[in-house]
Formats: sequence, C-alpha cells, structure tokens
Amino acid sequence: MGLIFKIAWRNLWRHKNHSLVIGTILCLGALIMTVGNGVVEGMDRGLQKTIVHGFTGDLVLVSEKYESDNVFLEMMGKTVPPIDNFKAIRASLEKSSLVDQILPMGKNMAMVLNEDGGMPTFLYLLGVDFERYHRMFPDNVNVIEGRFPKPGRPWLMLPTGARKEINDMTNVWFIPEDASLDTSHLEAEAKKHPGDLSVKSNLVLMGFNEDNSSTDIRLNVAGVFKYRALNTIFHPFALMDIESYRQTLGYFMASEKKPGNVSARDSALFAEDGNLDNLFSGDSLIVGNKPASEAKVDWIPKEASQRSNIDMDDGAYNLVLVLLHSGVNAEKTKGALNKIFRDENLGIRAVDWKQALGPVGSMTTLIKSALFIFVSILFLVAVIIIVNTLSMAALERTPEIGMMRAIGARKGFIGLMFLAETAALSLAFGGLGIVLGAVVVELLSLLKLASENDMLQLFFGGDTFRPVLTTGDIGLAFLQLGFVTAAAVIYPLILARSITPLDAVYKE
Amino acid sequence: MNIIEIHGLTKDYALGETTVHALRGIDLTIAKGDLVCIMGPSGCGKTTLLNVIGGIDSATTGSVRIGGQELTTLPDREITDLRLHRLGFIFQTFNLIPVLTATENVEFPLLLQKEHSKSEIRARAEKLLEEVGLSEYRHHRPSELSGGQRQRIAIARALVTNPDIVLADEPTANLDSVTGASILEIMQTMNQRQQTTFLFSTHDKNVLKYARTVVHIKDGLIDGE
Ligand SMILES: Nc1ncnc2c1ncn2[C@@H]1O[C@H](COP(=O)(O)OP(=O)(O)O)[C@@H](O)[C@H]1O
Ligand SMILES: [Mg+2]
Repeated sequence: MGLIFKIAWRNLWRHKNHSLVIGTILCLGALIMTVGNGVVEGMDRGLQKTIVHGFTGDLVLVSEKYESDNVFLEMMGKTVPPIDNFKAIRASLEKSSLVDQILPMGKNMAMVLNEDGGMPTFLYLLGVDFERYHRMFPDNVNVIEGRFPKPGRPWLMLPTGARKEINDMTNVWFIPEDASLDTSHLEAEAKKHPGDLSVKSNLVLMGFNEDNSSTDIRLNVAGVFKYRALNTIFHPFALMDIESYRQTLGYFMASEKKPGNVSARDSALFAEDGNLDNLFSGDSLIVGNKPASEAKVDWIPKEASQRSNIDMDDGAYNLVLVLLHSGVNAEKTKGALNKIFRDENLGIRAVDWKQALGPVGSMTTLIKSALFIFVSILFLVAVIIIVNTLSMAALERTPEIGMMRAIGARKGFIGLMFLAETAALSLAFGGLGIVLGAVVVELLSLLKLASENDMLQLFFGGDTFRPVLTTGDIGLAFLQLGFVTAAAVIYPLILARSITPLDAVYKE
Repeated sequence: MNIIEIHGLTKDYALGETTVHALRGIDLTIAKGDLVCIMGPSGCGKTTLLNVIGGIDSATTGSVRIGGQELTTLPDREITDLRLHRLGFIFQTFNLIPVLTATENVEFPLLLQKEHSKSEIRARAEKLLEEVGLSEYRHHRPSELSGGQRQRIAIARALVTNPDIVLADEPTANLDSVTGASILEIMQTMNQRQQTTFLFSTHDKNVLKYARTVVHIKDGLIDGE
C-alpha cells in the first residue's frame, strides 16, 4: 500500500499538467456545487421562515369537509367551509405546550362589483382581527398608501398587486380613504393620463355562500400595502376585518350572538333596498369620488362603539393558523393534533404550510430538482473531461505500466495505483473546492444582501439572501465528489488495467 | 536438469490479410545455470521467442515448460506471479519506473512479492546495487542516469528476487560497445556466482564470446546451436 501511494503521489507531481487540469475541474465543480447547495438550502429555510412567520404559521386547520390540502391557492370555485366551533378548537389547542400562537381567520373569495358598470373582478379575502394578525405576523404589512386599520372599525387593506389587477380589468384605481391620488404609484401607461382613471376609496364586495345567497357590503380602503416579503405570492390576498368578512360571506357573526338569539339578519341594520340613507352615518362610510348612495348596498359595517363588547370568537372562521414553538417538529405535531381533533370530534384537520400553499409549497422541491439537474449536467461535463484526460494519461504511460506488468505487477496493483492518484487529486482539489464553496456561502450570508425585487425575493426565500450550509450538505458534497471521481475513473481504470506487457514491448 | 523445455513452438501474427509466421516450430532445451545467447538477424524471431518464454506473449502451438511447469495453458494471473517469482527481465529500453530511485526500482519486485521485511528488502537491493557497481547512485532517478547505468540497475532488479531465469532481449542494443561489453560482463559474473540461467538475444556477433551456449535462429527456426 505504501508503495502504491508513493508511486501515485510522485506521479501526480511528475504529470503536473494533467494533475492541474483534473484538479481545477474538480475544484470548480465542487465549488459550484457547494455554493448551489448553500443557496438552495438558504432559500428553503428562508421561504419556510418567511411563509410560516408571515402568512401561514406552521400548521393550518381547516374544516374536514374541505377535501384538498391546498387551502390558500386553490383555483377559483372551491370555497373553504366555515368553522363554527373555534372556541372548542382554541380550548383544545391551549392544552398543547407545543403551540406558540394561533390566529383564526376567514379565507374565501368575493366579487368586487364594478360600480362604473363593467365586469366585476375578484378578490381573495383574509378576514382577521388586525391586532391578532399583527401579533402573529409582526412587520408583515408595509403600508404604501393610507394607514393601518384603526381598532374596532371596519376596514379593508388592499395589496398593491390586487389593486393593479383590479385596475387592469376595470380601470378603477383604489386609494385609501382620506388619501389623495399618488400618481407615482400608477402604471406607466396610466401616469400619462391620470385623469382617465376612475379613482375610488371604497369598494363593494359581494360574497357567495353555500345556499347561494349573497350580501353586498361597502368597505372603505384603510390602506394599500405590500407584504413585506414574497409579495409576488401573496398579493392577491386582501386583509379585512373579520366581522365585515363574515357579513360578506353570509357567515354567522359574532355580533349576532346575543340573549334571545335574535339574528342580526333580522335587525334594522339590514335594510331592504333603497333605504340606505338612514344607515349611512359616521366617517367610516363613503369618502370616494362617488357618493355611496349610488350603489346598492345591503350592509354598512358597524361603528367601533357598537362592537366594543362583542367576543369575535363567537362568529365563524374558515381557518385557524397555528404557530408552533421554535424547534418543534411540525410534521409530528400535525399527526398528533389530527388525532386529537378526531378524538374530540372537532370537525377539522391540520395541514402543514407546504400543503396549504399547494404549488408554491413545493416550489423549493422544484428548484432543488432544477439545481440537481444543473449539477448533474455539470458533473457529466466534468466526468467527460476527466475521463478523457485520465485515459490519455493511461495510454501515455503504456510502456511504464506494461513494464511493471512484465516484471510481475498484477492488474489489481496497476488499478490501485491509478485509483490512488485520482483519489488523491479528488480529495485535495475537490476538498479545496468544497471548503472554498463553504467560505463563499458564509461570505454571501454575511453580506446580508436585501432586495425589494419580487423575483429576487423568491430566490432569496425572503427579503434577505441568507445562503446556509449544514454539515449534512457538506457531507453530501463529499459524497457527490466521491461519486464523480468514481464515475470518472472507471473507464481509464479499465484501460490502464488492460495494458499488457506486450503493449510495452512494442511501444518501445 | 533442463530449466527450459520447448517443443514444436510456433507463433503466428495476423497482419491484415496475411499471417506472419514469426516462429515456425522451435525445439529447444536449456540447462539450468546456462548462459545462452539467441543469435540472429533482425526479424528472425528473437524477441518473439523470448516473449513467449517469459509469458509476455502466447504461443500459437507447441509447448513451453519452465522448471517443468507448462506455460501455455496457465491463466494470466498465474503467469504474472510466475514472472514475479521465477523470472527476471531486462528490456532494451524503458526498464525502470521513472518516479522511483535506483534503490526503489531494485526493491520493486520484492515489494510486490510481500514476502520479506522492509529491512531485508533494503539490504538485498543495496547489495545488488553494489554488485553492479552503482551504490553511489542509489538515490538517483532513472532520468539522472546514463543508458549503461540504467541497464545495470535493470540487471540488479532482475536478480533481486533470485529468479530461475533472466531474460534479456538485446540488452546492449542501445549502448556503445564498451558499455555493452561491461553489461554482458556483469551478466557473466552473476551467472557464474549465482548459477542463475541467463538468456539474452543479440544480432551482434561481437558479443558471442560472453555466452556459453549460442542458439542461431533464422526465419523463425533454429539454425544450429
Ligand atoms: N505484434 C506483431 N504483429 C505482427 N507481426 C509481428 C508482431 N511481432 C513481431 N512480428 C513479426 O514477427 C517477426 C519476428 O519478429 P521479432 O520477434 O520481433 O524479431 P527480432 O526480435 O528477431 O527482430 C517479424 O517478421 C516481425 O515483423
Ligand atoms: Mg527484437
């Protein structure tokens, strides 16, 4: 063995050029591979962090009646059934020490009526209590225009992306109440003729529910915002106050729960058509450029004062987002919770955030596969070049190898000698590449590159670029290196082993 | 006792459409301890004969026995081991491993054998280097040595395993006559001292005097002894 390594080692120095060619390829390949792994791992973690702590929590509880796992991004048409027993669910969750926070929310779609008489558009709605939302996802909402919702008042927060889409379809441009048109946020085309836009600061939503009854409600836009990170994915989801949401969807409202159980639907708030003027009162109403009375509206949200002693959790929700304590295994907890939910007959089940986001949840898997294909191609090219160089090296050394065979070296000896050379090269240069790659990843992550660019944010998995390498990744890199080396050495090895003493004699 | 017994040995080479009959039916016996010169013009089949005897090339027909063992039916691995343990080789050129020193080259077959201790191997290699007069060059690599010095190291390496037979195909062809003579003198000395059988080929009549037995070959046949 010592002899083989001595010969191999000296041969590496003797054939410096070919050693350098192979070494450089191995080094570069390992470097690219390591950095790629670090970037994808960082993206994976970043996405998880951004999404879990900005949109979904670790687990999403949804009614058992909802068949798909894709809770948020299911295409049009699938409504998420209401959850009427949130208090029981909350009580069940409060028993678990693994749960950090919970956020109940309404989630469904509603039509945005076009009061200028064109086609309606659609909007995904998340009905929440803003205070709770803010506690669960602090800093998640960047207000671009307008302000945060005021506690207790009805509100709707419109994402820039949704505003743009509505504008593209209807020429209506929503701005927050009390705000004036900020032309700098307009599309290039609209900037030229801002006068042609139909600017409004309130919108009429029409929700659907199971029995096809619909309710129109008018809401003021409190603010226009961007989700702090991954706005590209989340921008269709407008935020609104939960009671208005329930009303829109015809759900059971918290305010309906009162002694004697007189349904709010029978109350005076629900006027027959026309009789709107009585109901319009207070500053939460219409500040748009068109008087609200022009539209037919069934319901006007209540004032803060009217809501003060209502327990929001008496009403219906669609989802309960569950944030677990850090370090808790979400997958195991999901299983455990689902068992409890079944045992307690709560009519709900938990899905994890990846499932809840459907195709977006599997995006990292997709990007990982893409990287895998890229790396495979890289490997293939590297392997071809190395095979070529090594084969030439083997043939060049035919006299030497043949002579060794003639004086009694077995094929195995020649093979080991060849393998030792390549393995030494691979370990030295490939190892260097992996170390350099780890350093590059560390440096990149120290830079804390931040971006507001939507596409870059997807790539970063959030608003900052934090590539990261685990020991597992590094182990994997060495494994891949070993695999490349093995793949590259097989053919030249066979070639070297097949050199006969006779080849040496006649090469003389 | 005959260390080499050859009967009806033929060797054909396919050369495109035609067949070259390099050996046409050789019958030859060589006694243990002999110093034999295979003599003949270029292309007569000297190299082919030595290669077949050394198990480097295969016979087409006939039988070759080394110390009573039939070579022509032996599998490759056993022939390799036979070369390692019972034969020594000296080639015209490219005898030595470039990255090893003189001593290491001489040690090489013993290291392959894995039958002796490191110190024993070193001692034997150095003794043989001394016998061929190259002690002071023991740390030199082949590229730092002259052609004659390299051939002497090759002799030392061929003998280090105490082989039954040393085969040398035109060992002096690339050397000037004085150096070539010194090489053959060393072989002669070693043959007398250790009773090792030597077989060398040449086309140079001037070196015949070093041999005890001369075998003449012409067109792949023995032309007289
Ligand atoms: N590998 C081979 N293929 C074809 N012909 C060969 C081969 N080796 C040797 N020969 C032929 O066999 C004959 C004997 O060659 P060789 O043994 O090398 O002669 P010598 O060593 O006496 O010069 C020559 O005619 C040569 O051309
Ligand atoms: Mg010849």
